[in-house]
Amino acid sequence: METGIRVLLLTAALALLPGCATVRGWFHHGKQPAQSADTGSPPGTAGANGPEEETPPRVIEPQVERRTIKVPRIRSSNVEIGAFYGALSIEDFGTNADYGITAAYHITEDFFFQAEAGRSRGGRTSFETLSGNLQLLTEAERRFTYYDLSLGYNFLPGEAFLGRGVAMTSAFYLLGGFGATDFAGDTKFTVNFGGGYRVVPTDWLALHVTVQDHVFQTSLLGVTKLTNNLEARMGATVFF
Amino acid sequence: MARSTTTTRSPPRPPCEQGKDLTRRAQRRPRAALPALAALFVVLTPAVSAAREYLQLFVAEPYLELHTGPGRGYPVFHAVPRDASVDVLFRRTDWFKVRTERGVEGWASQADMLKTVLADGSPFKFELGDQAGFSSHRFELGVFAGEYGGANLISAYWSVALNPQMAVEAAAGQFLGRFSNGETGDLGFAHVISADTRWSPLLLLGVGIVHTEPKGTLTTPENRTEQTAYVGGGIRYYLTRRFFMRAEYKAHYIFTKRNQNEEADEWKLGFAFFF
Repeated sequence: METGIRVLLLTAALALLPGCATVRGWFHHGKQPAQSADTGSPPGTAGANGPEEETPPRVIEPQVERRTIKVPRIRSSNVEIGAFYGALSIEDFGTNADYGITAAYHITEDFFFQAEAGRSRGGRTSFETLSGNLQLLTEAERRFTYYDLSLGYNFLPGEAFLGRGVAMTSAFYLLGGFGATDFAGDTKFTVNFGGGYRVVPTDWLALHVTVQDHVFQTSLLGVTKLTNNLEARMGATVFF
Repeated sequence: MARSTTTTRSPPRPPCEQGKDLTRRAQRRPRAALPALAALFVVLTPAVSAAREYLQLFVAEPYLELHTGPGRGYPVFHAVPRDASVDVLFRRTDWFKVRTERGVEGWASQADMLKTVLADGSPFKFELGDQAGFSSHRFELGVFAGEYGGANLISAYWSVALNPQMAVEAAAGQFLGRFSNGETGDLGFAHVISADTRWSPLLLLGVGIVHTEPKGTLTTPENRTEQTAYVGGGIRYYLTRRFFMRAEYKAHYIFTKRNQNEEADEWKLGFAFFF
């Protein structure tokens, strides 16, 4: 079955790829071919009347100089880059400080893309604590590093007020995505989901409170299980 | 409503700036909120206090509504009358932050802004990407999630179009499985069939490299890096503006140093944008 798909795709690719060679405008993507000067005039008229009769002579030459119109580029501010600090509860390994960087791209007023990378440290399991000197992991293996690619959805947008004079736009958001976690000497495919609250006190600054769960499968303690690693953090981002 | 190409509403300026009639020099007012955090980020935001040149637009409809925030639900707090001008400070998604002649700042929707005119009376046009751009564009960037040889795959790709039908693509991925982890890198051609339709199939052909780190329990096999070749197919679906979904399948042939070559199937679904 799979070999059949491969043969079919290979045949189709080999049949179609040479066809690309016949496409006009190689390496001139998006450019229209230059039109010749006389394509606008109907056939026959150019020969009969000549160019002089097409443009009547001007009686008054206008003394107005054409201004060159310069339209400045509008700055777009859809990218958000920042850092966060919080606490990560690593299942079986206790809760520890957690820090990292985050970047987001706002696609519409409702949706955004987010990429983040963070680092924390796993503590001692209760088994290790009870058994004295026994160590399940080396110090290097206790380092918990992750990255995530998520899609975010803004809901309940609104305004937050500080006294009478300050109004800041705000929104709750939902996050969901995937990534990888490096912990206990192995890298695991990780699914993340969570939510947060964002306040934008100025046009370029945003403050976040985010709670997120990082779920991955591990068989570190003998049985294969899904672990939930809850993270609560605060962050600040700058809009570019 | 005839309008001369001279902007009478702009403040007088020396003759050397005659060519900049559509623009206005403006100074951003300093913000007072959260000075401590502002100090932290002042290095990162050189644009905050710098003088900028803003586009000046004129209201051609009876009025232009200004909202308190960049979203459809934020209330309208100000209306700019016909023929008055606004400076466009910046854009965030579909919303434009503008400042009126009296210094009132608010958010105007893209739909309303497209009804304004430049100082010479020509309509203001703004490109946010459309299906024509989907059919013919230069670059693509996207991320995928999927499966590679039975392992979970996270991958990203970058594509440069030679013409609307043909593109050179580079992809990098990380696969994480029960028996091995590793990284892949691919470089190849993509041929788009029927590029001008919302659903456009594509064919893929190229070469790559795969680095595999097996997870040994009793014996520890060595990490290995091998060359690959792939053939595949996929489909892309235009969503909105500059965004589209893309699903693809690649059949990889891995050229090993062992007796037999290996094969690996890659299935993935992702989200991409063009520019």
